[in-house]
Amino acid sequence: MQLNINGQNRTSTAAPDTPLLWVLRDELNLTGTKFGCGVAACGACTVHVNGQAVRSCVMPISAVAQQKVQTIESLGTPEQLHPLQAAWIAEQVPQCGYCQSGMLMAAAALLDKTPHPSDADIDAAMTNLCRCGTYQRVRAAIHRAANTNTNTNTNTNNKPSLTAQKGGAA
Amino acid sequence: MKRRTWLLSALGATGALVVGWGVMPARSRLGSPELMLKTGGDVALNGWIKIAKDGSVVLAMPRSEMGQGVHTALAMLVAEELDVPMRSVRLEPAGADSIYGNVAMLMASLPFHPLDSEGEHKPLKIKMSEWIVGKIVRELGINATGGSSTITDLWEPLRLAAATARASLLQAAALSWQVPANEITVVNGVMQHASGKSAHYGDMSAAAAGSTPKGVKPKAQQNWQLIGRATPRSDIPAKVTGQAPFGMDIRLPGLLFAAVRMCPMLGGSFDAMNTQAALALPGVTQVVRLDAWGGGTAGLAAIGRTTWQARQAVQAVQVQWQAPKTGALDTAQIQAALLNSLNTESGFTFHEQGVPTQAEKAAAKRIDALYQAPYLAHATMEPMNCTAQVKDGRVEIWVPTQVPQMARAMAAKVAGVKEDQVTVHVTLLGGGFGRRLEVDFVGQAVQVAMACAGAPVQLSWSREEDTTHDFYRPMHLAKFQASLDAQGTVTSLRIKSAGDAITPRWLARTMPALSGPVDMPDKTTAEGLFDLPYGFASQHMSHVATQSGVPVGFWRSVGHSHNAFFSESFMDEMAAASQQDPLAFRLGWLKEAPRYAAVLKLAADKAGWGQALPAGHAQGLALHESFGSIVAQVAQVSVVNGEIKVHRVVCAIDCGTVVNPDTVAQQMESSVIYGLSAALFGQIDIVGGVVQQSNFPSYPMVTLSQAPKVETHIVPSTRHPAGVGEPAVPPLAPAVANALFVLTGKRQRALPLVV
Repeated sequence: MQLNINGQNRTSTAAPDTPLLWVLRDELNLTGTKFGCGVAACGACTVHVNGQAVRSCVMPISAVAQQKVQTIESLGTPEQLHPLQAAWIAEQVPQCGYCQSGMLMAAAALLDKTPHPSDADIDAAMTNLCRCGTYQRVRAAIHRAANTNTNTNTNTNNKPSLTAQKGGAA
Repeated sequence: MKRRTWLLSALGATGALVVGWGVMPARSRLGSPELMLKTGGDVALNGWIKIAKDGSVVLAMPRSEMGQGVHTALAMLVAEELDVPMRSVRLEPAGADSIYGNVAMLMASLPFHPLDSEGEHKPLKIKMSEWIVGKIVRELGINATGGSSTITDLWEPLRLAAATARASLLQAAALSWQVPANEITVVNGVMQHASGKSAHYGDMSAAAAGSTPKGVKPKAQQNWQLIGRATPRSDIPAKVTGQAPFGMDIRLPGLLFAAVRMCPMLGGSFDAMNTQAALALPGVTQVVRLDAWGGGTAGLAAIGRTTWQARQAVQAVQVQWQAPKTGALDTAQIQAALLNSLNTESGFTFHEQGVPTQAEKAAAKRIDALYQAPYLAHATMEPMNCTAQVKDGRVEIWVPTQVPQMARAMAAKVAGVKEDQVTVHVTLLGGGFGRRLEVDFVGQAVQVAMACAGAPVQLSWSREEDTTHDFYRPMHLAKFQASLDAQGTVTSLRIKSAGDAITPRWLARTMPALSGPVDMPDKTTAEGLFDLPYGFASQHMSHVATQSGVPVGFWRSVGHSHNAFFSESFMDEMAAASQQDPLAFRLGWLKEAPRYAAVLKLAADKAGWGQALPAGHAQGLALHESFGSIVAQVAQVSVVNGEIKVHRVVCAIDCGTVVNPDTVAQQMESSVIYGLSAALFGQIDIVGGVVQQSNFPSYPMVTLSQAPKVETHIVPSTRHPAGVGEPAVPPLAPAVANALFVLTGKRQRALPLVV
């Protein structure tokens, strides 16, 4: 099956009903996306499909063929961090860190749709589970990234896309 | 020689050995350079510190990073003493030598009342006990990350190791430059002298090697540049880019994946299985029988080319399960049995003062209450997993564990090799909370790897297996009886609790060599009840240790987690009975415990205790000491549409000297959420031997929208550093329950809380 992952065409030999998560992790070695529950309840496996946050543990690959899939590996790099990743570092969000890829991908999808989310917007969009209880720093980091976005906006008078590579090579 | 003479001689010789060992100084934890990994160009100066050619510092890291920030905090201690920036400290895995053992964690198992050690001078009995236990555990050298003990344990040895390394580097520079060592200053890892000479550590490391200056002391507090300042965590950048490697992220050439299915009945096994359908699935190579390792449950594993294939296959196996020989477990029956134990057995007395029976006879009023707490699962976000390779008589494992030596011993036992044939790689842990003090899944991974003809295999559990095959926080019950005189003053407090002891079961399954023939009293059963700071004239606290057969384990803050709910809720009951405000009532009984009173006052002040609140809101407070730290919390709570909503939690903590205040705040926030999930939702039920909760929908967690705002206030202190990862869990449930009482007038005596 042909997949488009982080702007690259990839071939998977997995059965069509295989959840995207396991193709990413075990076939393509993109291990940044995590397994947490397998029933779309925790969000550790969150990726973007055509810019929408989806839980890849219940998303069969047959449903994402020809779609643009983005994982944490494409959000930003240590050298060129996504504003959310920079905000995550500034707010010192992660503890164990296991759920944070999914948190960041959920937050990136939120900011793409709602560049300046209210607390209620964040409550509604961020349903990912974190056992270390990083929630209030997640909230603070999303607000911080949104404000960074405003500054960039003012400086460049350009509407930036918060999802790296979105609409680019992908 | 006559037998009697021989015996006497043998006893005499043993006695002399013991006395001889006793008078020898306790084993040094500085360690020799050979203990560190041999890497080209680096020079080891002791068992902890290596200097790289470029002058950067390599630290041997024995403790596991599971979110609590210890990799950063320990690097801070080294950076402080060596005067290098944090980015110049790299970590390498520590070996298995006893210098890396955790002395503080085992010392904390001594059941002394914390108030006895509050003053300047500890009583002799405590000093003697700590001395002898300290000596023994230094010999044992058990490396474990748990009990909120990392900084407490390594505060002195690691700063001393770094300071000694620094002194030998300065000595080498002084000799080379022919100047007095005390005239050399160090800035950012560069040694400088007024004569214009300058060199970084890498230039002097070869000359410094082999020297161990004596009489070195760590920096005085007034010279600290780093300790006590909020410092960014060094593990965070990799955790925001998806690059941080957890156990399940290990990828090796030719890696196979294994899925696990254990007997649904805890402790059960199986009679027969039909693997035909499973083996017909694509990519599936084998189905392997799993024995019950490390106190776990037997079952089977399927091996495939991906985790998904293996999981599909393991579910396709037709199995005839076998109930455990001891009978099926049932929480309702266990609860009834605990109540019976509580009513019929005397238990072990952990604390007694005054004459409670007299006070009870003379009482003008008595209040009685029965409290209970359910079984709980840990629910780490990263489920149990271990990657193993068994090849040419050697075993290699990659495992998120809190106990690398026990993992090694388990791997050796399963593979039938000596421990020195096992290499353990500790990965990052996607949560620990005590679950990863167990090594059941290590045994499974090695057993599967033995069937894989030398190929590496990653064994991981589904969320359902993880929830239904945990080592649970034990169910406990506690009976409280308070006596009050005619003026409403509390004259005595009697507490008796019942529930399984964890430590003897854990020792038997992870370190059988240290497991005794009979269970010793386990401090973890009574902590949070026998060690209260309140000065009631007469007190009696006992615990009846039971053996339910349920696999029980250490759950973040252990006995404190439920015992603080019992004791701090009952404190509010006593306050109400004596018609006092909960804050004033506690302060009245903390005259001999000023440090506790200060923490409580700080939390109350910052929370605005007693001031007007929004309509429908109420505050509750709780104070609790655990792992050497005192934490007070004030929770602001309302009930909306029959649901408990916690809006704000103000935490005050006295944890002694603080290394990284931002980590303290992180752990307060973390503990509040962890404690709140348990208080609102946490309950494991076992029916017919089968755990009824299986995944997050049936074992829910607090989410972001339900999370209260958490504020942290730290009491400045110069005492020895104490624990931070756990002490804020215990007070959360009683603080919320006490607020609910104000709101509803109904006293909650069982967890989870229900309105």
